[in-house]
Amino acid sequence: MVKKELIRRSPLRILEKAIHGGLKDGNIGVLASRKGVGKTACLVHLSTDKLFQNKPVIHISYASRVDYIITWYEDIFKEIAKKQQLESAVEVHDEIIRNRVIMNFKQDAANTEQVLKTVGAMIDCADFAADTIMVDGYDFRKSTAEDLKKFKDFADKMGLRIWFSASLKGEDPLFDDKGLPNELKGYLDQIDVLITLAYKDGHVRLSLVKDYDNPPPGDLNIKLDPGTLLISE
Amino acid sequence: MNTDTRIEKMRNIGISAHIDSGKTTLTERILFYTKKIHKIHEVNGKDGKGATMDSMELEKERGITIASAATTVNWKDHVINIIDTPGHVDFTIEVERSLRVLDSAILVLCSVGGVQSQTITVDRQLKRYNVPRVAFINKLDRVGANPFKVKDQLKERLGRNAVLMQIPIGLEDKHEGVVDLVRMNAIYFDGNEGERVRVEEIPSELKAQADEYREEMLDNVSMFSDELMEAVLEGRETKDLIYKAVRNGTVTGDLTPVFMGSAYRNKGVQPLLDAVVRYLPNPADVDNFAKDLDHEGKEVRLESDPGSSCVALAFKLEDGPYGQLTYLRVYQGTIGKGDQLLNTRSQQTIRVGRLVKMHADTMTDITQAISGDIVALFGVDCRSGDTFTAPGLNYSMTSIFVPDPVISLAVKPVDNKSSDNLAKALNRFVKEDPTFKTYVDPESKQTIIQGMGELHLDVYLERMKREYRTEVETGKPQVAYREAISQRAEFDYTHKKQTGGAGQFGRVIGYIEPADSNRYEFVNGVKGGNIPKEYIPSCDKGFQSAMKKGQLIGFPVTSIKAVLLDGQSHPVDSSDIAFQTAARGAFRSAYVKAKPQILEPIMKLSVEGPSEFIGNFFSSINQRRGIIISTVEDGTFARVDAEVPLSEMFGYATTLRSLTQGKAEFTMEFLKYGKVPPNIAETLKEEYRQEKQNESS
Repeated sequence: MVKKELIRRSPLRILEKAIHGGLKDGNIGVLASRKGVGKTACLVHLSTDKLFQNKPVIHISYASRVDYIITWYEDIFKEIAKKQQLESAVEVHDEIIRNRVIMNFKQDAANTEQVLKTVGAMIDCADFAADTIMVDGYDFRKSTAEDLKKFKDFADKMGLRIWFSASLKGEDPLFDDKGLPNELKGYLDQIDVLITLAYKDGHVRLSLVKDYDNPPPGDLNIKLDPGTLLISE
Repeated sequence: MNTDTRIEKMRNIGISAHIDSGKTTLTERILFYTKKIHKIHEVNGKDGKGATMDSMELEKERGITIASAATTVNWKDHVINIIDTPGHVDFTIEVERSLRVLDSAILVLCSVGGVQSQTITVDRQLKRYNVPRVAFINKLDRVGANPFKVKDQLKERLGRNAVLMQIPIGLEDKHEGVVDLVRMNAIYFDGNEGERVRVEEIPSELKAQADEYREEMLDNVSMFSDELMEAVLEGRETKDLIYKAVRNGTVTGDLTPVFMGSAYRNKGVQPLLDAVVRYLPNPADVDNFAKDLDHEGKEVRLESDPGSSCVALAFKLEDGPYGQLTYLRVYQGTIGKGDQLLNTRSQQTIRVGRLVKMHADTMTDITQAISGDIVALFGVDCRSGDTFTAPGLNYSMTSIFVPDPVISLAVKPVDNKSSDNLAKALNRFVKEDPTFKTYVDPESKQTIIQGMGELHLDVYLERMKREYRTEVETGKPQVAYREAISQRAEFDYTHKKQTGGAGQFGRVIGYIEPADSNRYEFVNGVKGGNIPKEYIPSCDKGFQSAMKKGQLIGFPVTSIKAVLLDGQSHPVDSSDIAFQTAARGAFRSAYVKAKPQILEPIMKLSVEGPSEFIGNFFSSINQRRGIIISTVEDGTFARVDAEVPLSEMFGYATTLRSLTQGKAEFTMEFLKYGKVPPNIAETLKEEYRQEKQNESS
C-alpha cells in the first residue's frame, strides 16, 4: 500500500472524526488510564500517524531512558509497515526519523519553563517546525493547573497541539459517574480533549469523556489490538 | 607455585577513563607502589621524562595516552598485567582490541567532571565485552571535588549499581586520606610519595557519616550473598563475608565498588590495588571463546588449564628499540621458548625465540607463559588480531568488526629521505591498526592515507614526524563517498574491434540491481554456452573493475548485484580482455539507467555540556545538515544525540569550543552511509566534471 492510502485508511481517522478533525492549534489532549494499559503505545501511534503525514513531532519523555521510546517507535512502525504492506518502507522510515525528535527530561530537575525553553530552542535554533508535541510519563500529581496552562499557552503561541498521557494512580473509583478521571478534575479547564483507556470484555477500549464543550459520546468503538497495541477498529 | 594458584593470583586489568581524568598519573603511581619504578614522573613533568607508560613521544607531548602498552607488576603475591587502553574515542579499534584481552578494568573518573560523554562511551565499550569493573574517583584534591555526586552519576548516567567502599577524609586542599567502610578505619598516606600507609581510627567528626555509608554499602552488597545477609540481620557480619559478597557482585558485573583518592597527591592508590586483587576476576573466572576454523567457525570454549593446547591472540604490535614486538595474550594452554606456533590467518608456522614480560620500557626474559599471561615475542611477522595456536588446532579469536575508513588525505614527502621513511612508517601503521589504510592513487600518483576521523589521521601524521622523521605536505581531507544504484537496469552490450590485426569480440546481456549493503554479487545465468565458460570470470572481473570508479564523481560503486544472462562470442576474436572490456562497457551503460546516487558517511554525534548551551548545540548541528535524534536534560546538564554527515564536521571541535567557552565536548563515530541531498550531489558532480576537464586540458 502506498503511504497516502495508509494514512487515509488509518483507524485514527475515526478518532479524528469524533473530535471534529483532530486537535487544533493551542489544544491539549490527554490520554488517561492506569499504568500498563497502553498509553505510550497510543501516543506513539498517534505520533507515527502525524509522521506519515510529514508533520514533525517532538516526543517529550519523562521516563528514565530514551532508548526504550525509540524501540517503541521502531516496533510500531514495523507493525504498521507489515500490516499494511507499506511500499518503500526504508525511505518512509528515513523521512520519519528526520521529522521526529525525542527529548528526555527529569520532572524533578527540569521545571516547566526549562522544558519549554528547550523545546522552543529545538523549534527555533534547529528549524524544527513541530506540528505536535507528545508528552509521555508526565506526573500530574506533581504538577499544577498553572503548569498545564504554560504548556497550553506555549502551544497557542507556537501554533501546535500537545497530547499528554496521564497515569492514574489513585484508589478506586478512578472515574466519576461521567467517566472523568477524579485525579484530573483540577485540570479540566485546560484540557480540550480527554480520552480514557480501560479494559472491557478482554479488550482495551477508548472512551471520549471530554470533547471540548460538547457532550462527550463516551465509548468510541475503537480498541487496542492486544498483540501489537495498535489502535484498531 | 602450582599453575592453578598462579592463575588464581593473576589479574589482567585495563585502566579506562575519560581523557584528563588522571589515568596516566594513576598508572604511574601503580607502577611506583608495586616497586617497578623508583621515581615517579609526572605526565607533564619537569624532568622531561614523562610518565613511564606513555612510551610514544607524541603522547608525552600531548599528555595523553594513545597506544596500549602492557606491563606486568606484582602486588601482595599477585601478578597484575596492566593494559593501558587509549582514552580517545577516535581510536576505537585499539580500545576494543585492548578490551578483548582484559578480564576486568578500573574505571577512572574525575571527582569534579564526573561522568562525561567519553566516560559513557568507554563504559559502553566495557559493557559490550562484559568487562567487570571497579571505579576510582580521582582528583579529590581539586576544587569542586564531590565523590558522592560522581557515585550518583555512575548510577544515573551509566546505570551501574555503584556502591561506595570508602568515603573521603577531607576534600580539595584538605584531602588527607580515605575511610575504609569495610574495616571501619581511616587510612592516611605518609612519606614524600605516599608510600607509607598509616591506619588510624576514624576521625570523630566522620564517624556518623561513615556509619551511614557503611549501612548503605551493606544493604547493597548483601544482595550478593545470602550468608552476609543473614549475618547483617544478626549484626555479626565480618570483613571476609563482605569481601566475598563484593567479589561475587563485581565478577558478574552486577556491582561496581567505588574507591577514591588523588593519584597526583599519592592518596588512595594502595587500597585500590588491594581492591584489584580482592574483587576483580582472575583469568579462570572468565569464559573465553574462539572459532574453530576446521569446523565452519563453530564456537569453542577455551580451557584455562595450562595442560591443554595453546591458543593465544596477538593484540598489539610495537616497533621498539629492540625490533618488532608482538604482544600476546595466552588464552589456553602454555607457550614455551622454542615452541612451534601456527598463525591461523596466514597458516604460517613460527618458532618462539625470545619470550618476555614487559614493563613499560624494560623487560624480563621468561621461559614459559600459561593461560592468562600477557607476554611479548620478538621478530614475529604478523598483524594485530592474528591468532596463534599449537600445531593441530586451527582456531581464530578475532571477529572484531573492522569498519571501512571514512576519510582520506593525500600525503607528499618533502624530500627523498622523508620519502624512504614514509614507506616504512606506513607499512608499520597498517600492520598495527586495521582501520588505517594506505594506497597510491594510480592517476594522481599521490600517496593516500585513510582512517576513521580527522584526529585519527592527525595522530599518524605526528607519528611520522616524530618516530620516522618524515615531513609530509598534506592535501585537503577528503570524505570517502560511495556511489550506488537505486533500481534495476538491463544491459545488452557488444564490444567489437575487428578492423585489421587481431580482433576483439564479446557481447554480454543481463542486468544490474541494488544488492544488500556494501556487497558485490555476481550471478552467472548463461545457458547453452553462448559465452564460453572460460570467459565468465572475465565478465566478473570487468564488472568489478568498472565499479572501482563510479561515473558520477569517480568514487567506488557499492552494493551491486550483476546478473549475466546471455551473450555471444567469436571463435577467433573473443578473449579474456574482450569480455572484460564488454562487461565494463555493459556496466557503464546500465549504470546511468539505474538511477545512480552518491552516498556519504554519516556519523553518530553526541554533544554534551551545560544545558544553557543547548540552543547552540541545536543550531550547530542544524547548520551541519544534522538530524537531532534525541536529547537528555537533567537540570544543569544536557546531551544531544544526532546523526551528521562527516563532510560537514571538519573543524567542529573549534566551533563547539568557541560557542560554549570550552565547556562542552563531543564524541563521534561512524554510523552508516546515507544519501547525499540533491543540491550537494550536483555540486560534487560539477566539481568532478571540472577536475576531469582540468586534467584533460
